[in-house]
Amino acid sequence: MPKSKIDWSPANWPRLLFRFFSSYGLAAVVLVFLTIITLFGTYYQVDNGLIAAKRKYFTSWFLIHEFFGKFPVPLPGGLLLMLILFINMTIGAVIKVRKRWRGIGLLISHFGMLMLLAGGFVTFAFATDGNMTLYQGMKSSQVQSYRKWQIEVRPVIGENKAEKAWVIPSEALEKLDPNEGKTYDLPDLPFDVRVSQYYKNANAVPTSAPVSANAPGKEIDGFKLLQQELFTEAERNIPGCVAEFVGEDGEKAETILWGYSSKFLPDEKPMPFIFEMGGNKYAALITKKTWSVPFEVQLDKFIFEKHPGTQMARNFESRVTRMESDQPEKKVEIKMNEPMRYAGFTFFQESYGPPNAPIEEMFSQFAVAENPADQWPLWALVITGIGLAIHFVISLMEYSKKSRSNRAKS
Amino acid sequence: MKIWNNSFQNIREQFSGSGDLQIATRRKCSTAALWRSPMLLVATLIALLVFPTVSHAAKDISVPLDSYETWSEEAVEAFDRIMVQEGGRVKPMLTYSRFNMMKFLGGGTKTKFQTKDGVEHKIGSSEAMMDILFKGDRARFLPFFLVEDSAAVIQIGVSPKSKRDRYSYEELMPGRAKLAELAEKYRDKAKAHSQNKAVNPDLTLDEKMVLELGGAVSSFEFLLGQFGFARKGEMLVNEQILPDELKQLATKLDMAEMLDKMPEMTIDQLFQTIRSAAGGTEDEKMFSSAMRLFFFHANSGIGVNLIQPQDKETEKWVSVGEAMITGLEKKDNRPWAKEKMAATQKLVEAAKESDSAFVNVATEFYEGQKALAGQRNNEGKQTDREVKYYNAKYFSNSLVFFIIAFVTLALSWLSPGSGFGKWMQRITIALSVIGVLLLIWGITQRCLIRNRPPITNLYDTILFITATAVLFSLALEWFTRIGVGTMLAVFTGFVGMWLGITFEAKESSDTMGKLLAVLDTNFWLWTHVTIINIGYAAGLIAAFLGMVYLTGAFATRLMGKAKESRKFFKTLNRMTYGTVCFCLFFSLVGTVLGGIWANYSWGRFWGWDPKENGALMICLWSLVILHARMGGYIREVGINMQAIVLGVIVTFSWWGVNNLEVGLHSYGFTEGVERALHLSWSIMGLPFLLGVFLFFMDRSEKQAKLDAGRKDDLAAEGA
Repeated sequence: MPKSKIDWSPANWPRLLFRFFSSYGLAAVVLVFLTIITLFGTYYQVDNGLIAAKRKYFTSWFLIHEFFGKFPVPLPGGLLLMLILFINMTIGAVIKVRKRWRGIGLLISHFGMLMLLAGGFVTFAFATDGNMTLYQGMKSSQVQSYRKWQIEVRPVIGENKAEKAWVIPSEALEKLDPNEGKTYDLPDLPFDVRVSQYYKNANAVPTSAPVSANAPGKEIDGFKLLQQELFTEAERNIPGCVAEFVGEDGEKAETILWGYSSKFLPDEKPMPFIFEMGGNKYAALITKKTWSVPFEVQLDKFIFEKHPGTQMARNFESRVTRMESDQPEKKVEIKMNEPMRYAGFTFFQESYGPPNAPIEEMFSQFAVAENPADQWPLWALVITGIGLAIHFVISLMEYSKKSRSNRAKS
Repeated sequence: MKIWNNSFQNIREQFSGSGDLQIATRRKCSTAALWRSPMLLVATLIALLVFPTVSHAAKDISVPLDSYETWSEEAVEAFDRIMVQEGGRVKPMLTYSRFNMMKFLGGGTKTKFQTKDGVEHKIGSSEAMMDILFKGDRARFLPFFLVEDSAAVIQIGVSPKSKRDRYSYEELMPGRAKLAELAEKYRDKAKAHSQNKAVNPDLTLDEKMVLELGGAVSSFEFLLGQFGFARKGEMLVNEQILPDELKQLATKLDMAEMLDKMPEMTIDQLFQTIRSAAGGTEDEKMFSSAMRLFFFHANSGIGVNLIQPQDKETEKWVSVGEAMITGLEKKDNRPWAKEKMAATQKLVEAAKESDSAFVNVATEFYEGQKALAGQRNNEGKQTDREVKYYNAKYFSNSLVFFIIAFVTLALSWLSPGSGFGKWMQRITIALSVIGVLLLIWGITQRCLIRNRPPITNLYDTILFITATAVLFSLALEWFTRIGVGTMLAVFTGFVGMWLGITFEAKESSDTMGKLLAVLDTNFWLWTHVTIINIGYAAGLIAAFLGMVYLTGAFATRLMGKAKESRKFFKTLNRMTYGTVCFCLFFSLVGTVLGGIWANYSWGRFWGWDPKENGALMICLWSLVILHARMGGYIREVGINMQAIVLGVIVTFSWWGVNNLEVGLHSYGFTEGVERALHLSWSIMGLPFLLGVFLFFMDRSEKQAKLDAGRKDDLAAEGA
């Protein structure tokens, strides 16, 4: 049979595009690439950490993969592949597919899969995650980011109190070239802030230490900021930078801002750099990004149990009171696999500390997530499951019917 | 009844493709059986690889004991039932002995040796533990330490025996100090490596062996010293640290009486007291020495937790050493501490007296534990079941059935289609059914003992996946009746049970341990974990079917019998495809359920964790096969080749990601599976290569047909 010739004329392009995007071939190729980048991304995180692997393989449009660490090969990124898959499923399995009762199961299950992918995208684009750490009796509405650091500048009023903060956000800091730096004009403040030597992982070392003798960088108050190798677990990196505050009349103040805290305990406040400019006092610090939830959580009791005679945690749970203006207080238990969901936020029992607990007083750490697509995977699973079950039953009935008719014929 | 029969018939036909295929395949058995010859070869090769490692061939080792009086069965039974708390759970001494001895014996549970009277003895792990705890004077001479390479003993200055041999504690004693020194050094090196792998090198094989030997000898000494207080004057271990006058004193001093005379103090205060030089009168000096002995025995007696604590609310059991310390701390505790010391002492003395005395005392001890447990949340209520479970040896018996089934299957292939062959096939199926029933019963017992779903750790996955794979294969055989399902049932049962037994021996640790807080949920263990493992089993079966298809198809093609066996391979291909669909369904549902669980426990549905990625890759590759087939990009050979790739992905997801040692699913890490994985991938690679050949053979045949067609056309045009 002679092969039909393809009409490549521009008028036919929409049809060709439709055919291309709805084809099984495209689905198969995209799925093969997804498998490949999933495998490469899995291996990549062994040496480079999860965050780096996510960025390079799973949430990228394109990437260069080094085979055996040597041979660069361009590959499509996870985001691009999932987008193509979404389009392919929408056109091929929902729009183009022949609408017959026979295919209703597969149609429904593809809807479920589309919902799963859409949920993934919504999570990627709009979800936020952070943590809240509380000692027993402590209450808070502040959630802290795991990895995002920002510079805050606050005018200090009265007895070292600040009411308003100007922020250089983490997105801006992360793009900074450590060797060049950048000047920020913060509106309504009588000075500019010049940030240089921003290192994602840094260490402030006294110049008397041998390690800083020949190290590059500015010496400020007997200290130098040294760049450190990045940890594969991005949460462990502690950034630092040199900050210079230049007033309109040439007045200057400079310091090393470093995110280090001696213990990172929940009630420990970061030490700000206090300076005067134009007769006013200001405080500057580099700290993790924080945001508020519309209610307060008070930790009433933290229960920590180990399996008897072992160091293995059996259970850790927090008994909290949720407090909100104009609402009655609510007692809630948060434990592993039983989070608290409220007002679009979900509080999970994540961890506890400090490392030498229970010798020192224990604190409880909650992961706090805000995800508009939080429950979409569950619904997607229900839809897909129903679809596949219908398809299975229909197929079984058809086979059964066919077999009966075959037997009747024979 | 008829309705049911019809339904089954229908389903069978669905899998077979058509109702008359069964008849066809039965008639043309000789043709269809062609695929079996290469399979027989492959199976024999695998068996030759596997069989030598199944048994731990023990050498006869002569020991410098005049004779050895074996413990009676009743004594062993009484000892096995005694309850002990270890790893956060209450278990029978049988389990405790089994895994502790496995650590010494390199995964084995039996010790073979010959005494001077020429009698050969073979003792199990319980007898060995009884010797160590109660008859340490003879345990020191028994060859409990397996040294894989004599290089390890040479390093510590002990004269080696053969390259791989067993040593007694006495034989290792000359190198004890050196062993302690090297073990500490290598422990530091291993720690440095784990902290910074890029800078600090890992231990060499020899160093690892020395470190393991050091650990085993320390554990042995720890067990040997447990009931030291009850053996007046018999120190057995660490006696070199005691001066002669203390050894003398130890022969007379009763520790329970001593406890009465001591002032209230903590163990730290006791330590400070005995550190300060004894002065004053002779009596004061004597008392100071007695306190040193008390400290020595109390410390040596910490570890084997046989005693329920005084406080009913406290879950942690204590050892006799801790009971002594509790008594030391407060006079009010002393009656209780003395009672526990007396009960332990009775055990030790009865063991020396006679087996029958030991049976009575051990039974009394156990009954006492049970009575107290009844008042304390009924802890250890399943220990009797656990004793029965281990004694029944469900899994090794299951392996035996699969091995016999393997033989009968091979016999059936010698004369396929004959009456003998058919009977051998039936026997094979019956043996496989018995094998899998034993396996399922064993799994059920484990569920009852733990009050948990079937899978809570890696070992459980082996058992569960094997059972699922065997049942699935038998179901395939029921529907298709072409012999492949039977072969897969035997093969997966055999390999799975061998893997389970090998894994248990290699890990040498309790396989029913307690769970991490995040896993403490029966709902998700029942749903996500069970479902995803059914998906793993189906993926592996699909890969095996692919291997059978490609090997068989290649062989028949070489023999020029491709046409005759067409229907057979068509059915086989349907089986592969159906199994891939089955795998997709369970993997997809299991993976999404896992995501939902992760959303409940970690706050995110998907985190690109290696274990999650492994499951995702199984789903993705199954979808690749389905879509490529529907698009016409792959046909029979392609489907089966891709099914093998699916198998590789399943093994990577099941075992490989654990070796990456990253991610939140860190409860599944294990060592040394990399080599086994590479071996399995190489085995799967061979039929895959045959698939490549088949692909090119198909293509050249098609090309030849096209060329022939063109020539005919040209000839017709010319005419």
